[in-house]
Amino acid sequence: MQINSDELTFLTSGIQELENAPNTPALPMFSERAVAFLSALSSEILKDKRTRGFVDVTSYAYWIRKASLHAAMQKYADRDMRLGRGIALHIAPSNVPVNFAVSMTSSLLAGNITVVRVSDKPFEQVNIICDAVNKLFESDFADMKKYLIIIRYPHSERTTQELSSVCDIRIIWGGDRTIETIRAAKLPSRAIEMTFADRHSAAVINSDYYMEQDADSVAKGFYTDTYYTDQNACSSPRIVIWTGNSVEKAKERFWAALEKRVKSEYDMKPIQAVDKYTMFCALGMDRKGIKLVSHDNYILRTEVDKLTDDLMDFKQNSGYFMEYTAKDLSEIIPILGKRCQTISVLGIDKKDIVDIVMKNGVRGVDRVVPLGETMGLEFIWDGYKMIEAMTRLIYINEK
Amino acid sequence: MIEDFYKLEPYALDKEQKNALITKELKELTKFHKEHCTHYANFLEAVGYDAEKVKKASDIPFFPVRLFKDYELLSIDKKDVFKTMTSSGTTGQAVSKIFVDKETAIMQQKVMVKILSNYWGSKRLPLLVIDTPAVLKDRRTFSARGAAILGLNVVARDMLYVLNDDMTLNVEALRTFLEKYKGQRFIIFGFTFLVWQHFYTELLKLDEKFDMSEAFLMTGGGWKKLESEKVSREEFKKRMTETCGIVHFLDHYGMVEQTGCIYAECECGHLHASNYSDVFIRDPKDFSPLGIGERGIIQVVSVLPHSYPGHALLTEDEGMILGEDDCPCGRNGKYIQIFGRLKNAEIRGCSDTYADKFR
Repeated sequence: MQINSDELTFLTSGIQELENAPNTPALPMFSERAVAFLSALSSEILKDKRTRGFVDVTSYAYWIRKASLHAAMQKYADRDMRLGRGIALHIAPSNVPVNFAVSMTSSLLAGNITVVRVSDKPFEQVNIICDAVNKLFESDFADMKKYLIIIRYPHSERTTQELSSVCDIRIIWGGDRTIETIRAAKLPSRAIEMTFADRHSAAVINSDYYMEQDADSVAKGFYTDTYYTDQNACSSPRIVIWTGNSVEKAKERFWAALEKRVKSEYDMKPIQAVDKYTMFCALGMDRKGIKLVSHDNYILRTEVDKLTDDLMDFKQNSGYFMEYTAKDLSEIIPILGKRCQTISVLGIDKKDIVDIVMKNGVRGVDRVVPLGETMGLEFIWDGYKMIEAMTRLIYINEK
Repeated sequence: MIEDFYKLEPYALDKEQKNALITKELKELTKFHKEHCTHYANFLEAVGYDAEKVKKASDIPFFPVRLFKDYELLSIDKKDVFKTMTSSGTTGQAVSKIFVDKETAIMQQKVMVKILSNYWGSKRLPLLVIDTPAVLKDRRTFSARGAAILGLNVVARDMLYVLNDDMTLNVEALRTFLEKYKGQRFIIFGFTFLVWQHFYTELLKLDEKFDMSEAFLMTGGGWKKLESEKVSREEFKKRMTETCGIVHFLDHYGMVEQTGCIYAECECGHLHASNYSDVFIRDPKDFSPLGIGERGIIQVVSVLPHSYPGHALLTEDEGMILGEDDCPCGRNGKYIQIFGRLKNAEIRGCSDTYADKFR
């Protein structure tokens, strides 16, 4: 493998493992070694005192503990006929620190030689996980060194091209521009690519059902869905759809409970207030029927009187919510386009949402989850069974 | 009517008088733009504007300045556009487009003259520009810098660009200019960083010393870049005095979206709002107006924008009101301090952010 290492910083393993990667055998899906390694990684991370300060690292560690991996494994009946595709190159996003680990986990379970490029931004979460990996490499898991190479490099077309030239699968996380930039690097003819592009999400709440729930616990869940990631995760709801007969009462209660939490927990910078107001004005200017309903900048709410397919172009983060009252659930169809990822629901049957998707053949909606659980870690993402998609299947014709 | 303003000295009005006059004018402008710009009318409807409830200038809805980058906003027929002014961001990607008709252009010039004459007299003065003529030639770089120079050109005479196209100092031309206007009052204009980098630093390298003690050094463009190099404005002034004897300084704050209404620096080092404009500091939490000495987001109003709805704007700058009607220099109106652009927030999450478009 021809790789210029000048620009590379190795967080785990080294140039030797990277150079030999094309000759490293792929592992079977859910190989014993990969499962053992990840379970050990889970314990190692939880042992680290620094972990306590990071909810995302803790959830990750729980997600890869032994029992959880074994449970996941049972779901793949044909796993004995599957193995890694070869070298998997992961381009992790810059603003979600633990995402790189999520991506590498599926890749290792699939059996790939996993090369992960993490962002230049220094995140303690990345240090904690990489330190744990290195500890394992130095003790019982030296043999896994060649399967997990975590690197950093400054924006470089050449390096991306060199790495892409040897990979069998490329996984890109990030905004549209990142994907466009990385895609400039050509892939070998047999290689496949998975892209996790910019998405948006929506929440649907039945007002009557909500009125029977505990306002604070719903607010806590919704806060995690939104403000916890500056409402800028793909799965963060940008619009709230209300149904049922108690919409006005429910709104008042819902937003008041959220406001209490936001004011005590969220650190809003002045520019975020300007960004939100600017986007609201852009929407208000673009069409009639827009109304500002919030009284300050912590939660900026705007009511829309119609759902259109371009409405989500006016999404914003940091606590900016569009709201719509639907008489019939099917009114949401216009916002279920390609970019729509997660629908989180409260008091709405998840199957009803799936029905709408199926019947109308809309291009979006990959996930329907309960309100408050949009941030959950799962092996199915953006319509892919992640682990499976990173393997190949050997078919035997049994006549 | 704008004529009511012209009769007055630009800093004559006290708080009460100014609020009465400017509020009336701004309400009329709001009505005018509502009737002539659909986008703006929609905006007023979205924020729930009610003209009846406007008691003071700060009650007029403020429009986010960034939207001039996304939308072409004008309240006149496109055929009546006399000139289009643009401001480029630092990267030059997103550009504000401001459409000016003849009437607005004349007002901008007139007001600029009135404000500046209040500082250096009504006589047109020779102008030394610390910039290159290329800043006007190339339409892509015709930015805030270009607009400021053109604006000043109207109040000055015998303009000389003292930087070559490659930004080197044209010492020969400088020498000739200074000899010609020896002992006379003249203006030096440039953006702070250019003055420092391409004028001051170059002058230091020369063997000869120039006397510019009669000059007014007018600067703009903010201090962030110099401050990042650990040069404070006091230091800047001190060095300019030491090197070429400059003692009259006139910094200013302004934006291409409200050209003409500059906030000029008085002898006490304060930036003043004239009768033609006003400034409010908004609390980031809820945009309520803050008092004297409180730091927040700058909102500006100006009575000049007739051809585009830019009379009440929310900027992305941070500032503070230092006082009103009581500056030792004798000028009425608010005087302010600017802290520069609002800091970018590190937004978490995987999506592209709106602000990314402007970086």
